[in-house]
Amino acid sequence: MSNEASVSNAPDGLAKTEGERLFWGRLANWGPYQTLMSVVTLSPRRQFFILATFPILWLLTQHLGPMLQMLRVSLLDAYPIAPDVAQEFSLESYFKFFGDRIFWMPLFRTLIFAAVFTLSTLLITYPVAYFLARHVSRKNQMLMLLILLIPFWVGEIVRTYAIMILLGNTGALNLALKWLGLIDRPIPFMYTSFSMGLGIVYLTALYMLLPLYSALEKLPKSYNEAAADLGAGAWTRFRRVTLPLTIEGISSGCTLVFLISTGFYATPVLLGGPSTTVFAETIAGFFHVAGDEWPTGAAFAVIMFMVALLITGVFQRLMKSLRKGDSS
Amino acid sequence: MSRGNRIALACIYWAFVLYVFVPLILMILMGFKDSKFIGFPIRSWTLDWYTRIFSDAEVIQTFVYSVIIAVLSTLISVAVGTWIAVLLEGRKFWGRAFIFGMMVLPALVPGIISAIAFRIYARWLEIEPGMGAIIWSHAVHNVPFVSLVVMARLSTLPKSQIEAARDLGADPLIAFLRITLPYLVPAILGASVFCLLLSFDDFVRSFFLGGYEPTLPVLIFAMLRSGMSPEINAISTVALVLTAAIGIWAERFTRKAKKGLT
Repeated sequence: MSNEASVSNAPDGLAKTEGERLFWGRLANWGPYQTLMSVVTLSPRRQFFILATFPILWLLTQHLGPMLQMLRVSLLDAYPIAPDVAQEFSLESYFKFFGDRIFWMPLFRTLIFAAVFTLSTLLITYPVAYFLARHVSRKNQMLMLLILLIPFWVGEIVRTYAIMILLGNTGALNLALKWLGLIDRPIPFMYTSFSMGLGIVYLTALYMLLPLYSALEKLPKSYNEAAADLGAGAWTRFRRVTLPLTIEGISSGCTLVFLISTGFYATPVLLGGPSTTVFAETIAGFFHVAGDEWPTGAAFAVIMFMVALLITGVFQRLMKSLRKGDSS
Repeated sequence: MSRGNRIALACIYWAFVLYVFVPLILMILMGFKDSKFIGFPIRSWTLDWYTRIFSDAEVIQTFVYSVIIAVLSTLISVAVGTWIAVLLEGRKFWGRAFIFGMMVLPALVPGIISAIAFRIYARWLEIEPGMGAIIWSHAVHNVPFVSLVVMARLSTLPKSQIEAARDLGADPLIAFLRITLPYLVPAILGASVFCLLLSFDDFVRSFFLGGYEPTLPVLIFAMLRSGMSPEINAISTVALVLTAAIGIWAERFTRKAKKGLT
């Protein structure tokens, strides 16, 4: 199999024209290049060193750096500092969080919302993924999945706006309900936790759908057939075979969706109301005002990230033990 | 599987398709409504909103600005992401798990936290809010997506090809440039399109790291805060058509490339 692949791959790696071959030959025989390569490839260790230096520097300074800097700022008493004022270490920003209900309430609300939205996304997309992986022929699977991908290439703001138009007082949903004679007066869907939830599920559904689909697709059909032969009904087969074997997909989909949905800022601002203020709005508030509130904003972001990681960590541990429990 | 089950599942699938498409279709329709008032029913139609936005210098400028940011940040993400993938894939070394963790970190950090962490870091590095800062934040945020896609492709590269090239006298760099890199092209192109879309659609980072000039999502957000108008529908529809078209084109393209190579 791999032999066949490499044969059909070969033309890709080969020089396609005489000119190209000449170029590579000349490069390989060019004095300065040879000197450079002999220095670089002196030992495997040196080769590795040259390969690894840039990525490691990039990861430390660009991926880890911003997070560490945020942590540092959260522990200062003022930032950015005014000239000739000493910065001091302080935990004040963290105490501030616990001191006032208007600070910890939004975090609590965000976590509850995120959990509910994650569960809703799971319940909505599991049957969809199941249908695609189990009941659709291989050829149509890609097409039917592609149809679902199209809306997800559209940006967060545009999709949020689309939900606003759907749910407004003169929106399509109210119009349809009125036309059906179910209501006389429009239902105020907008600026509630419902509109926010519908919007966030709309934004995150794909991040759940894809891990579920790939987990279900990998599951051999014969397992279910074997269970059926042993006399298991449809529900039992689902509960004892399909569900335990797709827990990995469920676990990674839920983790992803939970983390993403805690981080939305624009969608809650546009679709939510005063009673649905999420923690992202609280954090953003500290960055719109004068600079000395930055340590508080940073501390709040650190708290939120830690709590979200803790929750997803515990969740994943739980899912893992569930899986082990079932297979033993 | 019983027939009833199958039909019920098919209904759920199509209901889901409606859920993801209907809001967008309604939004597109509303952009053709001949009235400033957003809402149904639509009684008369017009193309005025489109002629208006295409003659609006600010909208055009914002659009170009967003595209430039998307292209430049994608170039950085692709170069860095590929390099990291080559380091990580198929190699065992001390601290690999830690490096892998750092690599995926930007993809896991919730949006708002990522945005303000970049904002604080940019301030520390004394990068002014504006184009440079946005490009930098998008580039860093998109690196993990490139690395993961390239690593997946790299893991399927037959090792024998590299060994053959080395046996024939190619040094590691030439073997990489002539064997590995051409093999990675479909993955790199796919990842590039994904990065372009992520950057073009990104709101939260552009919002917190932007200067006075808005990107397209930031402009739409600002317009929405002062009220809905069919003009926003027209702008959103143009953005939607563009992103969906690029997405579909890339999907077809990568599938063709996959077919050709395996």
